[in-house]
Amino acid sequence: MAAPLELSCWGGGWGLPSVHSESLVVMAYAKFSGAPLKVNVIDNTWRGSRGDVPILTTEDNIVSHPAKILNFLRKQKYNADYELSAKQGADTLAYIALLEEKLLPAVLHTFWVESDNYFTVTKPWFASRIPFPLSLILPGKMSRGALNRILLTRGEPPLYRVQEVEAQIYRDAKECLNLLSNRLGTSQFFFGDTPSTLDAYVFGFLAPLYKVHFPKVQLQEHLKQLSNLCRFCDDILSSYFRLSLEGTSPAGQETVDANLQKLTQLVNKESNLIEKMDDNLRQSPQLPPRKLPTLKLTPAEEESNSIQRLSP
Amino acid sequence: MSLVAEAFVSQIAATEPWPENATLYQQLKGEQILLSDNAASLAVQAFLQMCNLPVKVVCRANAEYMSPSGKVPFIHVGNQVVSELGPIVQFVKAKGHSLSDGLDEVQKAEMKAYMELVNNMLLTAELYLQWCDEATVGEITHARYGSPYPWPLNHILAYQKQWEVKRKMKAIGWGNKTLDQVLEDVDQCCQALSQRLGTQPYFFNKQPTELDALVFGHLYTILTTQLTNDELSEKVKNYSNLLAFCRRIEQHYFEDGGKGRLS
Repeated sequence: MAAPLELSCWGGGWGLPSVHSESLVVMAYAKFSGAPLKVNVIDNTWRGSRGDVPILTTEDNIVSHPAKILNFLRKQKYNADYELSAKQGADTLAYIALLEEKLLPAVLHTFWVESDNYFTVTKPWFASRIPFPLSLILPGKMSRGALNRILLTRGEPPLYRVQEVEAQIYRDAKECLNLLSNRLGTSQFFFGDTPSTLDAYVFGFLAPLYKVHFPKVQLQEHLKQLSNLCRFCDDILSSYFRLSLEGTSPAGQETVDANLQKLTQLVNKESNLIEKMDDNLRQSPQLPPRKLPTLKLTPAEEESNSIQRLSP
Repeated sequence: MSLVAEAFVSQIAATEPWPENATLYQQLKGEQILLSDNAASLAVQAFLQMCNLPVKVVCRANAEYMSPSGKVPFIHVGNQVVSELGPIVQFVKAKGHSLSDGLDEVQKAEMKAYMELVNNMLLTAELYLQWCDEATVGEITHARYGSPYPWPLNHILAYQKQWEVKRKMKAIGWGNKTLDQVLEDVDQCCQALSQRLGTQPYFFNKQPTELDALVFGHLYTILTTQLTNDELSEKVKNYSNLLAFCRRIEQHYFEDGGKGRLS
């Protein structure tokens, strides 16, 4: 189709093309189906709208909302699902509903409601990409919207309190992650060897949870223990998104050389490990070993510091 | 319920067998109950029938307020009160009856996913139709919801509930949907269910599970409730295997030997 498709969405960080789940879903689907998408990252100029992000603009229409955008792309013949059987298509719908009901509240909570995370990570990140004075208003509005959604769908009327539902939504989210991990098993994508809509949705929801560094990380820790889901995210990142970031080949459904993929993964793992060690070294106290660890350290870092002290 | 309370309840539940006088509470069948509540109540009834657990259905005008979570139906078993299909399934499981034991992990994941699909799409569509579609609200819902109460309480309660439901619709993004879009979503959902069911008697072949109970509850209610327009039931009638499925469960569990009665 000749019409240029422009997608405006939130930008990336921590190795992801976008930090916003819904934008990531659309980007991943576009990569899987080979749709040529020009991505306009929202920045802190006044150009473009930041209302119902992600937004797809073509010559004649404006489509918002990931589900509608995906439908639109399918009508334009960019379909990642044509190899799926009818039952697999039905399964896709069911699993997407599972994601939205069980995982989304906890993801929203981790990003927008949990005060440590919100004030140290999410709010500064989004505020830096929104022009002043909207940057004072919009993150707060998004946070309140997230809280609202969690309480209205999970809370008990008429007194909506977030503490009551916190435990429940995290438990549901962990169960959902376990179910996804069971379903994925050892295969590369959810339905065989080619990625489909469900893979786009799962990637969109899991990747920010997996990659963004938060102070309060219980859900992230749980996710990191499910190694096949982590491998799934890393695979998609390295095969579909690294290439376009480097600019060496056009975006599209290209099969990466298997060896190159493995090599890239190994290098990534190494560099992650080195980064972690580097982080630990930098954050260990620069004082004589007798000093007790300060209260600021998290338990994990305390442990690694004590290990370093024990070694000769 | 908090986690501790839940663990406590399931411990207590495990020790006692299912009593004879278990009761299920719902709103008044003839005048008050609405489409979505009827569907939920029927799903629980079907589930308990499938587990062969006797339960008496009692209709009370204030069932919604008696329920611990604000949602109907709820069951009163021994000295515990449990509401909504999810917790009821777990409660029954703690007592040792389960329909989904024979499924492996992948099938259990599928079952949970499909149950969420029904809750996400069918239930939300029913709520939308009842509370956000002006024609239905005016003619049916307002009149029914407040019928046991005197004026002006009936109007106040109906408006309050409508406001609550509209808030929820807006929060999950259904606030701006038109009726046609909602009906299309219902169609998609029914198509997915129909494709999953295929030609099998139940969703997981030979034995019914809680998914079958939930789907039956919703589809049967949609098919047999008269609304201002028939579009919702028309969407379901397009899929003949779903119709056969409802008929099969109705005959097997509700007319067979007089076990239980359907409204």
